[in-house]
Amino acid sequence: MKIENTKAQMRKGILEYCILGILQSGDAYASDIIAQLKNAKLIVVEGTLYPLLTRLKNAGLLEYRWEESSSGPPRKYYSLSEMGQQFQKELKGTWEELQQAVDIITTPKSTS
Amino acid sequence: MNKTININLAGIIFHLDEPAYEAFKSYLSRVKSALDGQEGAAEIIADIEARIAEIFSMRITEFKREVVTALDVDFVINTLGQPEDFQDEEDATFSDQNTSSNGTKTKKRLYRNPDESYIGGVASGIAAYFGTDTVWIRLLFLGLLFFTPIGFFTYIILWAAMPEAKTTAQKLQMRGEPVNLSNIEKSVKEELDGVKERFGRFREESKGSGKNVADGAQSVLAFIFMVLETIFTFIFKFIGIILIIIGIIFGSFLLLGMLGVVATTWNIGGLEYLTFDGAVLGLNGLEAIIGTGTTLNVLRIGALLTLLLPLFGLISLIARAFGKPLANARILNITGGASFALGLILLIYSGISVGKSFKVGATEMTTTTLSGNQFDLRADLIEENDAFLFEVDDTQLRIENVQLNIKKTFDTTATLVLKHRARGKNNSSARLRAQSFEYPIRQTGTVLTFNEFFSVPKEALYRAQELRGTLYLPIGTEVFLDPSIENIVYDIENYHNMLDRKMLGHTWRMERKGLVCVDCQDIEYYSSDDLNEIDEAIDEVNDGLENLEDDISEEIERLELELKRLKNK
Repeated sequence: MKIENTKAQMRKGILEYCILGILQSGDAYASDIIAQLKNAKLIVVEGTLYPLLTRLKNAGLLEYRWEESSSGPPRKYYSLSEMGQQFQKELKGTWEELQQAVDIITTPKSTS
Repeated sequence: MNKTININLAGIIFHLDEPAYEAFKSYLSRVKSALDGQEGAAEIIADIEARIAEIFSMRITEFKREVVTALDVDFVINTLGQPEDFQDEEDATFSDQNTSSNGTKTKKRLYRNPDESYIGGVASGIAAYFGTDTVWIRLLFLGLLFFTPIGFFTYIILWAAMPEAKTTAQKLQMRGEPVNLSNIEKSVKEELDGVKERFGRFREESKGSGKNVADGAQSVLAFIFMVLETIFTFIFKFIGIILIIIGIIFGSFLLLGMLGVVATTWNIGGLEYLTFDGAVLGLNGLEAIIGTGTTLNVLRIGALLTLLLPLFGLISLIARAFGKPLANARILNITGGASFALGLILLIYSGISVGKSFKVGATEMTTTTLSGNQFDLRADLIEENDAFLFEVDDTQLRIENVQLNIKKTFDTTATLVLKHRARGKNNSSARLRAQSFEYPIRQTGTVLTFNEFFSVPKEALYRAQELRGTLYLPIGTEVFLDPSIENIVYDIENYHNMLDRKMLGHTWRMERKGLVCVDCQDIEYYSSDDLNEIDEAIDEVNDGLENLEDDISEEIERLELELKRLKNK
């Protein structure tokens, strides 16, 4: 059992949920998503995100459109699909349950 | 001054100076190989390239430059991350678990090793696959080569079949190390270190050699060793090339032979000279055994399919010899191998179905009464060059398998008994075949003329038909064995125990004790009975001589005594 594996698996689920969460509040260009994730210290480098975005898009959770850019090539703007929105809602529910559950279990039982 | 190189990234042109270009190229190719095999890799790479293009244009405007420098490339790498980071976490964790739980290495693949090769790198590739030292594999090949040609053919086939490990990933797979970025980097670094080390050593040596005499002597020795090594390497390579040439020649002959077989089964004219056994089987030999039905077609297709593999092998060898290895050699190998296997199955199938039709044997007998008490046996000779075991024409199959024997009978007339034997799938088909023999015997006066072959209808096919004739002669009959029947007489018993070959050209009489030669005069033909009589006679004479000697010595004694007596007087 490697700690790295556990960390990676934990982060993976959360990362997908976070991307969906970012897009829930509005369409975004890959760099925007990356910037927000970087701010939150969820990822360190951008490279991690591109395969993930492609996978989510291929899974039908994301859609994208091309938009012209003033600096550089056209950009891909990602948005949530119908399925993605439902997915996000479900994940949100699960996340809240999990958060509660983890809190209950891991907080020191000083009250009892 | 720095040269710049233009690249097109996501539809935008950038000028990169040389260091930037080298760094960027290597980074991008590492990223590509990291993503290789991942779903949607092309799209991910396109996205990444677009992002890099954006960063480049951003930085160019920001710093008011026209050329992308190594700094910009470093910035890109820092922003996007090392190629390892590009792997989708899902895949990464999956493969991680896989290797850690099983504890096994990545699946090995058989590659030719171009880095340590004398000829084609086959031996070192195999050694890498089995994790042994190359020397042992080489010795094995050499050993095989000296005792049989198998080693040689194996080498050639392996050479054609094994792909060369060209990329670092393939070289890692060849050794069974997992192909991930850190390993690729490690092996590249090792290689570079090796080069550096050698270079460094070389520099040191050249420096040192000038300094003192002892080192000078050492370097002379080293030089001699180096020359020897070069010579030996050259000799090995030279032998290798010769072996390759021999292999190609052998392979071509083998292929021609196979083509000959195919040509024979199809009766393709003008290719007769290709058949090795054309003289024995006749042109249509295979047709005589297999017929013209389904089995023949199955055999033909089978032969063609098995031919594809050596043909492909030859093609790729020739291509290699011209320095242009086939790009799709793998496809050729796969199709060649598959068709070889299929062809082999078809050949075995047709072989078995032909074999089955030889299962049961049957014998038919005809008896002919011959008039007269003097015979002269002759044969119609087939011309020497046309000797055949069997031969097909439009309607008939002629089979040269006739044997004639002579035996004694207590009947008053001579009879010729012919046994027709044939085989078949079952008893009735074998019997039907045995009944369909055609073997005319002509009798004109005392002369009996035999054929060296008999005929069956073409449809009957060759099913081990044979004809065994026996001439039964009454006592007192005389027979002349003409030398022409040499090929059909077989082990005729006679009173003198004479060999068939010596019996020919003489007249023989059937007596109660067997065939007796009438006109043989040599003493060596006397039978053992006669020899006993002679021995007895000689013994008698010897006895007589002994008695005579005794008588004479007695007489001498008597005369001597008489002489003494007379002297005394």
